[in-house]
Amino acid sequence: MSIDWITVAAQIANFLVLVWLLKRFLYRPILDGIDAREAEIAARMDRAVAAKAKAEAVEAAFVEKTRALNVAQSGIEENMRKAAEAQRDALLAEAQQRMEKDHANWQAHQADEARAYAASLHNAGATALLQVARRVLTDLADETLEARMALHLMHKIQPMIADMGRAIGHAKTAVLTSRDPMSPAAETAVTAALQVHFPDIQVRFETDAAQAPGLMLRMGGAQVAWTVDSYIDGLDVLVAEQLAHGPAQKVQSK
Amino acid sequence: MTLSPDTIVMFTLWGIPINATIFFTWVVTGVLSVLSMLITRNLRPDVPPNRWRTMLEVIVQGIQGQIAEITEGPSRHLLYFAGTLFLFVAVSNLLLVIPGFEPPTSSLSTTTALAISVLIAVPMFGVASRGLGGYLKTYLEPSFIMLPFNIISEFSRGISLAIRLYGNMMSGAVIAAILLGVAPFFFPVVMDMLGLLTGLIQAYIFAILATVYISSAIATPSSSQSEKDLP
Repeated sequence: MSIDWITVAAQIANFLVLVWLLKRFLYRPILDGIDAREAEIAARMDRAVAAKAKAEAVEAAFVEKTRALNVAQSGIEENMRKAAEAQRDALLAEAQQRMEKDHANWQAHQADEARAYAASLHNAGATALLQVARRVLTDLADETLEARMALHLMHKIQPMIADMGRAIGHAKTAVLTSRDPMSPAAETAVTAALQVHFPDIQVRFETDAAQAPGLMLRMGGAQVAWTVDSYIDGLDVLVAEQLAHGPAQKVQSK
Repeated sequence: MTLSPDTIVMFTLWGIPINATIFFTWVVTGVLSVLSMLITRNLRPDVPPNRWRTMLEVIVQGIQGQIAEITEGPSRHLLYFAGTLFLFVAVSNLLLVIPGFEPPTSSLSTTTALAISVLIAVPMFGVASRGLGGYLKTYLEPSFIMLPFNIISEFSRGISLAIRLYGNMMSGAVIAAILLGVAPFFFPVVMDMLGLLTGLIQAYIFAILATVYISSAIATPSSSQSEKDLP
């Protein structure tokens, strides 16, 4: 075991050269690379933190915007709901009003039809009644209906002669109107009957198609009439009752 | 049996005989330098490191971590010095597995040179850290009576460093040579494997001790570690 001092000196020199070489080619590049990479990582982390903060800000803004939109949407929906309700109420009121109007029109139309039907029925009934009465009088009593009506009118005015005399005044003409022309015998009988009480009176016979079957006597300010309306009214009541209770009676009868 | 590679002359350069110690030191230096150059060329911070660069980073950062555990204020200069000590000793000992390779660390001249380097580095780091007056003042602590003991302690540390490394490496070679004569087919392999482990441990110890000595010079005396605690 010996120390070669020349070798020692050479090894010291070699070691120092090795230190320089490793510093030049190993430590410095490696440490600089690590520092640069750490700086790069730190910069990326900073960018990531900044990006995260930005993303959080954007998220917060988005959430706020979404909330505002939801609030606005709720308001719009509420307004639309109120408008729809108002429009619905208006349409319902309009429909109800129209329906009431239609119903009223229908009722009026129905009443008109009922009245027209009643009038038609009234006329038909009166015509039928007159025809039946005329036929019965002709067949059984050999008399005309107009003659009997004139005779009945004369009997009817008997209690009112005094009143009629005051009402006539100075009139010299009496007018007897009927719906159908009277027979000459009936006209003669009526004229004779009137001239018994009023000798100066002249009788004129007229027809009026719009008048109800019967006779109407006008003398000055006096007017006496006899028509079959009173009989027909009873027939109308009977027909109305039959019409009102007809379907129920049919069901009961079935 | 040749105990020291100093006596083996490999070749003569300009009339100067180059012994095996110097030659294989150049080999180790060349291996370390060429590998470092090849791996660290074209380094870019934005490119992920490859496996070789990662290996070097692990080694360098491992050395840095060991130094940081010992010293209060680690510097790159200390890394350059202690890291080179470790890498040189470790690679020299690891290359023992190559047939015909004579580890320079099995030469007392090499270990002495390394110990002298540490002896010179300790005051240099101390002066750089504390200033000349501050460093010389440490020899008078705790009192001027301790000056000769401190000087003896300083040199004995260098001598112990040199002898420890040399003894371990040479003993391995001697024991391998003896066992080679007894059982030439089995024991040399086992001893070489053991030599690899021993070589790494000795490299670690040598570098750690050097770092402790330097850190005791640059740090406060109370924070310095004792050599007695180390193997």
